[in-house]
Amino acid sequence: MAAVPVYWYFVLSMALFSLGAYGYISQKSGIKVLMSIELMLNAAAINFAAFSNVFGAQDGYVFVLFVIAIAAAEAAVGLAIYVNLFRTRKTITISRVDSLRW
Amino acid sequence: MIENAWLIPVLPAAAFLIIGAFTMMKRELPEGGGPIALLGVGGGFVVSIGVVLDVLGGKVELPYHATASWFVSPPYTFTVGIFIDRLTALMLIVVGLVATLVVVYSHSYMREEGLGRRRYYAEICLFVSSMLALVIADNYLEVFITWELVGLCSYLLIGYWYKKPEAATAAKKAFLVTRIGDILFLIGIIILLATFKTFDFTTLFSMTVPADQTPILTIAMLCIFGGAVGKSAQFPLHVWLPDAMEGPTTVSALIHAATMVKAGVYLVARSYPLFTQAPDALMWVAIIGGFTAFLAASMALVAYDIKRVLAYSTVSQLAYMFLGLGAGAALVGTTVAAEGWTTSQFHLMNHAFFKALLFLGAGSVIHAVHTNDMREMGGLRKFMPVTAITFLLASLSIAGIPPLSGFWSKDELLATVFLATSHPTYGTTFLILYVLGVLTALMTAFYMFRLYFMTFEGKHRGATHVAHHPGEHHGTPHESPLKMTGPLLVLAVLAVGSGLWAVSTGGFASTFHVGEAEHHSAGFGEILAETFASPLTYVSIVAGVGGILLAYLVYSKGSIDPDHVKRTWGAPFHLVLTKKYYMDDLYGAFANRVVLGAAAVIDWFDEHVIDAVVNGISTTGQSGSESARKQTSGNVQDYAAWMIGGLVVLFMFVIYIVPRLPRGGL
Repeated sequence: MAAVPVYWYFVLSMALFSLGAYGYISQKSGIKVLMSIELMLNAAAINFAAFSNVFGAQDGYVFVLFVIAIAAAEAAVGLAIYVNLFRTRKTITISRVDSLRW
Repeated sequence: MIENAWLIPVLPAAAFLIIGAFTMMKRELPEGGGPIALLGVGGGFVVSIGVVLDVLGGKVELPYHATASWFVSPPYTFTVGIFIDRLTALMLIVVGLVATLVVVYSHSYMREEGLGRRRYYAEICLFVSSMLALVIADNYLEVFITWELVGLCSYLLIGYWYKKPEAATAAKKAFLVTRIGDILFLIGIIILLATFKTFDFTTLFSMTVPADQTPILTIAMLCIFGGAVGKSAQFPLHVWLPDAMEGPTTVSALIHAATMVKAGVYLVARSYPLFTQAPDALMWVAIIGGFTAFLAASMALVAYDIKRVLAYSTVSQLAYMFLGLGAGAALVGTTVAAEGWTTSQFHLMNHAFFKALLFLGAGSVIHAVHTNDMREMGGLRKFMPVTAITFLLASLSIAGIPPLSGFWSKDELLATVFLATSHPTYGTTFLILYVLGVLTALMTAFYMFRLYFMTFEGKHRGATHVAHHPGEHHGTPHESPLKMTGPLLVLAVLAVGSGLWAVSTGGFASTFHVGEAEHHSAGFGEILAETFASPLTYVSIVAGVGGILLAYLVYSKGSIDPDHVKRTWGAPFHLVLTKKYYMDDLYGAFANRVVLGAAAVIDWFDEHVIDAVVNGISTTGQSGSESARKQTSGNVQDYAAWMIGGLVVLFMFVIYIVPRLPRGGL
C-alpha cells in the first residue's frame, strides 16, 4: 500500500484548524463554539501523529493521548460553564455574554 | 573673653528662638517679649564689650581666628569660624550699642502694638543676631549666608505692618532690589572660589594676586561691590531705602545706623586687602560713592516726610564712606594709603551714632504728633525739649560743625579725597568727586536744618491733627517717656563726643587701623594743629555753616520764600528732585516694557507651543483610547478574532520578512 505523502496530513490538519478557527469566531451557539475548539485540538493532534510517524518517534503519540484527554476534560468544564450560564442568563448565545466589558 | 566671641550672635539668636516659640504657640509674654529681647541683644553687647576690650587691650594676637571644618568637597574645604580684628571690634561696638538702645527705646515706642510686639521683637533679635554673625564671619560663604539672613529680616521688619499695602510693597521692593546686588555678590564670591579655591579670609587676604589674575579679581571685586551697592542702597539700587520708611521707626534706626546698610560698607572694608589689588574696582567704588552722595543729598532737599529726608541722608552718608574707601585706593603705595579706609570706618562709627539718634528722635516726634509730614509739625521744641536738643546736636554733628563727631570724620574723609587728586590717572576724577563731596556737605547741612527748623522751630502747624487722637494725647504733643529719651541722651553724648574722643586719644587710626604697619599715633594737639592748619578744613566748615545759614534764612527767618523759588527759576529742579530723578519711573518703565514684554513673549510661547504640545499628546492619547475602547466589546469571539488576526500577521512576518533581513538580525 503506497504511503500517503506526509504533507497530506498537514493539509488536512490545516483545513481542520482553519475550519475550527472560523467556527470559533463566527458561531453564535456556545455548543458550536465548543465543537470548533475540539476541531482545532484535533488538527493539532493530527500534526503530532504525523510527525511522530515521519521521525519514527513515540513522543507524538503520547502527546496525542494527552490532547484527547485534555479535550475531554475541557469539554466537560465548558459544558458545566454553559449549564451555569444558562441558569443565570437563560441563554448560551456567545455574543450576548459580554460581561468582560468594563 | 575673646574665646567666648561665638556667644555674641548666639545670645540674640536664643532670644529670637524663645520669643519665636511663644509667638508660634500664641502664648503671652510679658511686655510682648521686650525684656527677653533686651537680655539677648544686651547680653550680646556685653560679651562684645569684653571681646573689644581684649582686642584694644592688645591681649590677643590679631586677627583672632577660630575655625571649624564644615564640609569638605575636594578641592574645596568649607569652614565656619570667627574672625576678629579691629574692624570687627568696631562693628561689634556699633551694632551692639545701637541695637541695645533701639530695643530699650522700642519698649515705649511699640507699646501700642500690644501682643503683636512678639513678632517684632523676635525679628529684631534675629536681625541683630545675623548682623553680628556677619561681622564675625571668617569666610565669604558665612558672610553670604548671614547677608541673606539680614536681607530676610529687613524684609520682615519693613513689612511689619503687613496689612498696610504700602508697607507690604516697600518690603517687597527692598527684598527684590537688594536681591539684584546679592546675586552679583554671589557671582563675585564664586569667581573668587573658582580662582583661588577658598572662601577663607585669612588665606585670601594674605596672598598676593599674580598680575595675570588681576582682571578676574577686578571682576570679582566689582561683583562683590555690586552686593554692597544693593545692601547699602547706592546708585542705581538706592530706590528701596526711602520706601523702607514704611516700617516702624525703630527698625529704620536699626537698619540705617547699625545693620543692613552698614553691611555693604563693612563688606567692602572687609575685602579691602583684595580691593587694593584691584584698584580699578576701587575706582568704581569711589565714583559710585561720590555720585550717590550728591544725588541722594539733592533728593533730601525736597522731601517732606521726616523719615525720608533721613533715609536720603543715610544713602548720601554711606556714599561718603564708599568714596573714602575708593579714595584710599588711589593712595596705595603712599604713606597715607590707609587714610581712606580708616576715615570711612571712622565716619561709619560716627554716622551710626548720629543717624540712630536722628531716627530715634524722628520716632519720638512721630510718636508725639502721629504724622510723618513735616508740614504738619513745627514748634515742637517747646513741647519736647529733650528730643529737640538731642536732635539739634545730631543735626550739627551730621552737618560737620566742629567739634562734634561728624566734623572730624567728614573733614578727614574729604581731605583724603583731596589727597587722591594727586593720582596720576584718576586725579581729575577725584577732583570732581571732591567738589561733589563738598557740595554734598553743603546740602547735608541745608536739608538737616530744613528738617530741624520745620519740625522744632516756628509755630506748631498740626495741633488740630493731634486732637484727632483723643485718649492717646492730651491736646498738645508732649515729650516721650524716659525709655525713649534715655537712648536719645546716650546717643547724643556719643554723637557729640565720639569724634573728639577718637581724636583726643591719638586719632581714630591708632585704634582702628587696617594693619600694624599703618599704626601711627599722634598727640591731640598735633592732630588739632594739623587739622586746623589745612585750608581744606575751612572748606568743609564753610560748607556746613553755609548750609545751616541758608536753611535758617529760608525756613526760620523767612528771608527767602521756598515756594517762590519753587514757582520761578527753581521749578524744573524741584520737579526733577521730587520725581527722584525719575529713577522709580525708569524702573517702572523697565519693568512694564522690557520685563513684561519679555514675559508676554514667553507666555505666548508657553501657551501656544509648550501647552499645545502637551495638550496635543494628551488629546491624541485620549481620542486614541476612545476609539480603542470601542474594540473592548467584552465578547470572547471578538478577542479571538483579534488574536487570530495577530497570529496571521506574526506568521507573515516570520515567513516573508525575517528571511529577507540582513544577517545578524535587526
